[in-house]
Amino acid sequence: MANLIREIRFALTESIVRWTLLLAFMLSGFSLANGLYEVRQQESQLATLKSEAQKDQAYVLPQQGDAGGAAYYMLHLTYDPPSELAFAALGLRDELPWKHRVKMLALEGQIYEADQSNPELAYLGKLDFNYLVSILLPLLIIGLLYDLDARERRESRYELLCASSRRGKGVLFDRAFARVVLLFLVIIVPFLIALLISGAKFYSGFLVLAPVLLHALFWLVICRVVTSRKIEGITAAAILFGTWLVVTSLVPVVGKSAVERWVEVPNGGEILLTQRETVNDAWDLPKQATMSRFLEVHPEWRDYAGIEGSFEWKWYYAFQQVGDQQVEPMSTALSQRIAGRDARMGWVSALSPPLMVDRWLTKSAETDITQHMRYIACVRDFHAELRRFHYPMLFGREVYSVEAMDELPQFSPCVVQN
Amino acid sequence: MNTRNVLLVATAEWCYWRRSSLGVIASVVALLLVLASLISTNLRIDTERGARESFQATAEQTFKEQPARHPHRMVHYGHYVFRSPAPLAIVDPGVDAYTGTVLFLEGHRQNSAAFSPRYSAAQAGPLAEITPAFAYQVLLPLLLIIIGFASVAREREGGTAYLLATNSVTPTELWLGKTVALSGIAAIALIPLAISLVFALMQGESLTIVALFFLGYAIYLGCWCTLITALSSWSRRSSISLTFLLVTWLLLCIVAPRFGTTVAGIAIPLDGKIQSDLAVTSALRDVGDGHNANDPAFSRLRSQLLEQYNVETVEELPVNFRGIVAQASEKDLTALLNEFADDRMAQEAKQTQVARVFNVLSPALAIKSFSLSMASTDLSQHHQFLRDAEALRYDFVQKLNSLHAEKLSYADDIRRGSDDRAEQRTRVSSENWRLLKDFPWQPRSLSERLLDSLPQLLILLFWYICSAWLGITGMQRVFKNNDG
Repeated sequence: MANLIREIRFALTESIVRWTLLLAFMLSGFSLANGLYEVRQQESQLATLKSEAQKDQAYVLPQQGDAGGAAYYMLHLTYDPPSELAFAALGLRDELPWKHRVKMLALEGQIYEADQSNPELAYLGKLDFNYLVSILLPLLIIGLLYDLDARERRESRYELLCASSRRGKGVLFDRAFARVVLLFLVIIVPFLIALLISGAKFYSGFLVLAPVLLHALFWLVICRVVTSRKIEGITAAAILFGTWLVVTSLVPVVGKSAVERWVEVPNGGEILLTQRETVNDAWDLPKQATMSRFLEVHPEWRDYAGIEGSFEWKWYYAFQQVGDQQVEPMSTALSQRIAGRDARMGWVSALSPPLMVDRWLTKSAETDITQHMRYIACVRDFHAELRRFHYPMLFGREVYSVEAMDELPQFSPCVVQN
Repeated sequence: MNTRNVLLVATAEWCYWRRSSLGVIASVVALLLVLASLISTNLRIDTERGARESFQATAEQTFKEQPARHPHRMVHYGHYVFRSPAPLAIVDPGVDAYTGTVLFLEGHRQNSAAFSPRYSAAQAGPLAEITPAFAYQVLLPLLLIIIGFASVAREREGGTAYLLATNSVTPTELWLGKTVALSGIAAIALIPLAISLVFALMQGESLTIVALFFLGYAIYLGCWCTLITALSSWSRRSSISLTFLLVTWLLLCIVAPRFGTTVAGIAIPLDGKIQSDLAVTSALRDVGDGHNANDPAFSRLRSQLLEQYNVETVEELPVNFRGIVAQASEKDLTALLNEFADDRMAQEAKQTQVARVFNVLSPALAIKSFSLSMASTDLSQHHQFLRDAEALRYDFVQKLNSLHAEKLSYADDIRRGSDDRAEQRTRVSSENWRLLKDFPWQPRSLSERLLDSLPQLLILLFWYICSAWLGITGMQRVFKNNDG
């Protein structure tokens, strides 16, 4: 401990260390301030949307005279609110939609709509705490440690230093360790403050601190392995930089291409075109053809499924559902394969600590692809619930009234089970 | 200034690099990376283009082959457009991966584009999109640093600079020689880019754009060459020079791009499409429902028409009143929808403008924007796609509405729900569906693209000049110290 304190004091006398620490502190503060702001922004946007959507429903409903019209004109807002740790890793939320408005029509035609943010900004990416920790932190550590041993050798103090220290060659490890500890501290202090401001549960902070600490230690070890050899500082820097490039960029890129080749996904365009054809063909098909396909899935409506007029709402909603049934294999395959790709990227991340940290943080912050798929599943469940609610009135087992619509399902976000 | 001296220094520097294993290994690795990125991006974009174009053809064909039916059915049948990647997307795919590729066009609605390529891509972290643009903008500067960080500092460290001075090589000549040598490496690195630009040319990109695109990247790499030798000349030791340069690279290439976007996101928050959809619906309540010709919103239209044709009832009109209403309401609705869509696009464009203010801070940012605008893979091109799609939507919907107004009798139209024969008469033949226009990929106009990228080119030149000045003054300072 005394060693560590001495080395910390020593490190702080060097201007390059002080500047690096200041830079890290500012980056950390900036990224977290932005994260907090962004999450607030999303929350306030969501609050506005919720009240607007409610007003819209309240306006539309009284004008509807029958169950079919009510189902057709009522739009339902669904959303995935930011989690309490979202400020630390904004993840895919600026890229994949976290809000949808859906109605009782075929869901497959609606669910891929994207209420997107600015794609050019998404392309450039944002500076969040996750980026600082997974991408920049290793570079800062390399910058602080690459020349430690080589400088002592260059100035012919190496042997003397090791001989005069009680810890022998360990003194250089202490020195490196002290610098990493300092760096870790200046990065997590803003995080702890942000955690307090965000009002998140304090123990959830460990979900973020643990990967930061492990990532820092990983690079400490790598740096020691390289710099303790008898090589020049410049060579050490080149090797470490190369390592960084390989694990942060090359491994993920190669892994990604391999995974994408390995697990093929159905094309979205095909899902949309097939769905549209099925829904539209129904207008020209005999009505019983649609109804019998509908009854395969919903035999409970067999006694109510007779169609007499040239247009009946129950037939209309039945072919909407048949449209979904038609593409279900493809859309199920799409979500399964997306999940499959992600699971395999998990294996790839075993070779890339920065990617592992990125996945860990976005998982803790619930801003990863898994969370997006979870949200989509949640919207599907809600849509199914809407159908369960509307069918009795559409098929005439229950009578439509505005009062009966009091029971209309309201969306509530699905809670993650840990 | 003696050109022979400059070349002499440059040749000596080349010989030195050939002997250093680090330089050779780094160059080979970098060259392989660039080639791999070029080939893989080329293949990927080609596959994407093929898939989207074939979907587009299918969508057009199925529309035109629809059987005889009521024109309004076709308004709701709708049409799909697919966004084809730009020719230069093989070098810089830009926002292609981040924007939806397919857009459903139908009456009364403007949908958003679905299925961005990133939607189903394997998520591999922030630095996993190795495109040629990324390789040239971010990785090559790193290679140049590794090769050139010691170029001048080494001479200072070894005291050889002093010897050079006595041999009547001026400091500026020495610096220039080192810079020329490094620029030579950059020039070799540009060869693969030139080859892929030829592919883009063959796919129909204009020669002006391609030439300027190349020039932009050449200036960018030139910037780095001068910056590297400049910072090297200011450093007493090679190790300091390397630290200096790596920190510079980190700030310019890795931190700065995200800094600008973050500030832009804070400065101009976006409301998003759902919010503006909600605003549209509430504004719409005054426009009227085009499906309901009895909507009070259309009573003025009715009396106007009755007066124009000098008849008493809508049944007596020579045109189908329902079709007229559909046309009129689509027109009003579209005006409203466009107003909100334009607002949203203007907001996004403003965000991008704010982010681009920060381009002055980094040549890596300037080349990014330059490259996107030139390659037509930027936000404006995406907006252009949305506008083109909207124009196509409005065109076919209104053509269908005019069929509705002119070819269908009002009497049949109102009875088609109850009378099968009337229903048959309200169908128009399949040949009419050929009214659908093609949806070719249209780049923004040459002048727009040039105008957008010119400021970025100026920023690059500014950096070029500044780093050259830094290099020359650095050299003079060194030699003054040596003299003293």
